Amino acid sequence: MLHLSQTLFFIEIIIFATVIFMHLSKKSSSVVVLYALQSLSVTVLLLASALEEANLALLAVTILIFAAKVIVAPYFFLKLLKKNQLKFSVSSYLNTPLTLIVLTILTIMTHANFFKPIAVIAPANGSALLMAIAIILISIFLIINRRGALSQMIGILSLENAIVSFAFFAGLEQTPGLELGVTFDIITWIVIATVFVSMIHKQFGSLDVTSMKHLTE
Amino acid sequence: MALLLIILSPLLASFIFFFIRKSVGVFGLLSLAASLVELGSALYVASGGKVSSFTSYFSVDALGMILMLIVATIGLMVSWYSISYLNEEKRKEIIGFRRIKQYFILLHLFLAAMFIAIISANPIVMWIAIEATTLSTAFLISFYNKPSAIEAAWKYLIINSVGLLLAFLGTLLFLYPVLGHAGLVNWQTLLGNAASLDPFVAKIAFIFILIGYGTKVGLVPMHTWLPDAHSKAPVPISSLLSGVLLNVAFFAVLRFKAVVDLAIGPYFTGRLLIFFGIISIALAAFIIFGQRNYKRLLAYSSIEHMGLMSLGFGFGGAGAFGALLHMIYHSLTKSLLFLSSGNIFLRYSSTKIEKVRGVLTALPATGIIFFIGFLSITGVPPFGIFLSEFYILSGGIMSHPFLTGLALLALAIVFIGFLKHVTSMLFGKPEEGIEIGKEASGRLAPLLVIVILLAILGFYIPGPLKSLINSAISIY
Repeated sequence: MLHLSQTLFFIEIIIFATVIFMHLSKKSSSVVVLYALQSLSVTVLLLASALEEANLALLAVTILIFAAKVIVAPYFFLKLLKKNQLKFSVSSYLNTPLTLIVLTILTIMTHANFFKPIAVIAPANGSALLMAIAIILISIFLIINRRGALSQMIGILSLENAIVSFAFFAGLEQTPGLELGVTFDIITWIVIATVFVSMIHKQFGSLDVTSMKHLTE
Repeated sequence: MALLLIILSPLLASFIFFFIRKSVGVFGLLSLAASLVELGSALYVASGGKVSSFTSYFSVDALGMILMLIVATIGLMVSWYSISYLNEEKRKEIIGFRRIKQYFILLHLFLAAMFIAIISANPIVMWIAIEATTLSTAFLISFYNKPSAIEAAWKYLIINSVGLLLAFLGTLLFLYPVLGHAGLVNWQTLLGNAASLDPFVAKIAFIFILIGYGTKVGLVPMHTWLPDAHSKAPVPISSLLSGVLLNVAFFAVLRFKAVVDLAIGPYFTGRLLIFFGIISIALAAFIIFGQRNYKRLLAYSSIEHMGLMSLGFGFGGAGAFGALLHMIYHSLTKSLLFLSSGNIFLRYSSTKIEKVRGVLTALPATGIIFFIGFLSITGVPPFGIFLSEFYILSGGIMSHPFLTGLALLALAIVFIGFLKHVTSMLFGKPEEGIEIGKEASGRLAPLLVIVILLAILGFYIPGPLKSLINSAISIY
C-alpha cells in the first residue's frame, strides 16, 4: 500500500516537472510533447483510481481521457504547428532566470503556512495536495508569462490537469457521468481553442498575442 | 415536464437549424417559436412558486425561477429582434446565409446552457453548463471575423477559461464534506453538510469561487475581457451577455455564498462581496465618464451594476432585497439599451460616440427609447433601478456609511458621464448621408415590449414575483 502511494506521489512529481519544463522549453513542439506526458501521468492516476474501485464506467472515462488528451489533442497541436511552420514561436515576458525565480517563489508559497491547512481534506496526501496547488499556480503563471497563443492554451490545459490531480489526491473524483461531462467540456474547449489559434495565425500572421493590438479603449 | 421543455426547446431548435438549407425566414420563425415555448414553460414553473424538480439532476428554487424568467423573457426579445437585425445585415451584405445559420444555432445553444446552469441540482453540472456558455458564445463574439473581434473572443476564451477552472477547483473543495455520499450531490446536500466544512477550506473555496465565477460576472479586477467581448459581439448577443449571462454567473456565486454563510457566518462572504462591489462601481464610473464608444459604455455600465449587486448582497438585509430587484431591472434595461444601440449602429455604421449625432432626428423612436433606457439605467425615478439602488444603499448606510457614500458619489459620476454621452448622441444634426426617419418595426416592437415591462415593474411588482423574491432572500 505504501508502495502504491509512493508511486502515485512520484507521478505527481512528474506532473510538476512537466509544467516546469514547459516554462523552460523554447520549442513549441516540446511544449506539446510535455503536455502529452503530463496528461499521460494524470491518466495513470485516474487508471489507478478506476482499478482500485473496480469501476468499469470510470475505466471507460479514463480511456476516453487518454484518447483525448494524450493522443488526439497533441496530434492536433503538432499538426497545427506543422501547418503554420511554427518551430520556435515560444517567447515569454520574463527571461529564463527571472522565470525560475518566480517558479521557486510560487512553490515555496504553496508549502508555506498559508496553504498547509488545505491538507485537512486528505491528511495522508498532504504533500501531494500542496504540490498540486503549486502546479496550479505555475500553470496560471505559464498562461500569463507566455506570448504565444498555443502556449497559453497549453497552460490552461495544464491547469486543468493540475486540478484533476488535486481532486485525485483529495479523493474528490466525481461519478463517471460527471467526469464524462467535464471531459466532454474540455474536449470541446480544445477543439474551439485550436480553431481560434488557426484564426489568429490567419489574421495576424503570427501566434504571438502581443501582435493583437486592435482592442484600444 | 415544464423544466424538461425549457432545456429541450432550445436544444431541439439548434439541432433543427443544422438541417435548414435555404430559407432564412425559417430560422426566425423557429427561433421565435422555441423562445415562446421557453417563456411559457418558465411562467408555468414560476407560477407554482414551489421548488420544482425533474430527475435528481434538475431542480429550481425561487432565485432560479426569477433567473429563468429573466433568461426566457430576454431570450424571446433577442430572438425576435435578431430576425430583423440579421436580415438588415444580410441586405447590407455584411453577413450571408451561413453566418445566419451559425448565429441561430449558437444563440439557442447559449440559451440552453444558461437554462441548464440555472436549473441544475448539482454544482458540477452547473459548472459544465456555465463553461458551455463560454464555448457557445466564443464564436458569436468573433462573429464578424474581424481582427478586433477575434482578439476579443480569444481574450474572452482564455480569461474566462482560467476563471472557470478556478471555480471548478473551488467547487471540488466544497464537495469534501460529502465524500462518500450515496447518489448525486445536490445543493440541499451541500447546505445540509455545511456545518462539516472546515472554516479554512470554506474560505479558500469561496475565494476560488468568487474569483472564478466573478471573472464571468465581470467584477473588477477580473473584468478585462468584458468590455471587449460585449462591444465586438453582434448587438443582440451583447444584450444577452450583459443582461442575462452576468446574472447567471452571479447566481453561481450566490449558491456557494449560501453554503459558506451557513458554515462560517455571513461576515466573510459579505466583506469580499463589498470589496469587489465597490471597486467595480468606482472603476466603471470613471471609465464611463471618459468613454468614447457607446457599446463599451454600456459594457462598463454592466460592470458598475454587477458591482452594485455585489455590494447589495454583501450588505445583506434590505441590500440583498435591492440587489435581487436590481438583477431584474438591470437585465431589462441593459437589453433595451443594447438592442436600441443596434438600431443606432445599423443607421450610423459606427460605435464611436463622436460619430453619432442627432439620433432623435435620424431615428426618432429609437432615440426616445434609448433616452428612456438612459434614465432607467442611471436610476432616475420613477424607474425601478431608482428603487433597487435605494434599497441597496439603505442596506449599507448604517453599517458602512463611508462605502455607501462612495458608491453614491460613483453613481453621480456615472449619471453625469452618461448624460454627457447620451445628449451628444441624441441631439444635434446628423451627418450628411445619414438616412432620416423610417425605422423597421421588427427592430422596434421588442424594444417597446421591454419599455412596457420596465414601466409596469417600476410601479408594480406582481404578487407571485414578489413572493419569489421574498423566498429567495430568505436563502441568499
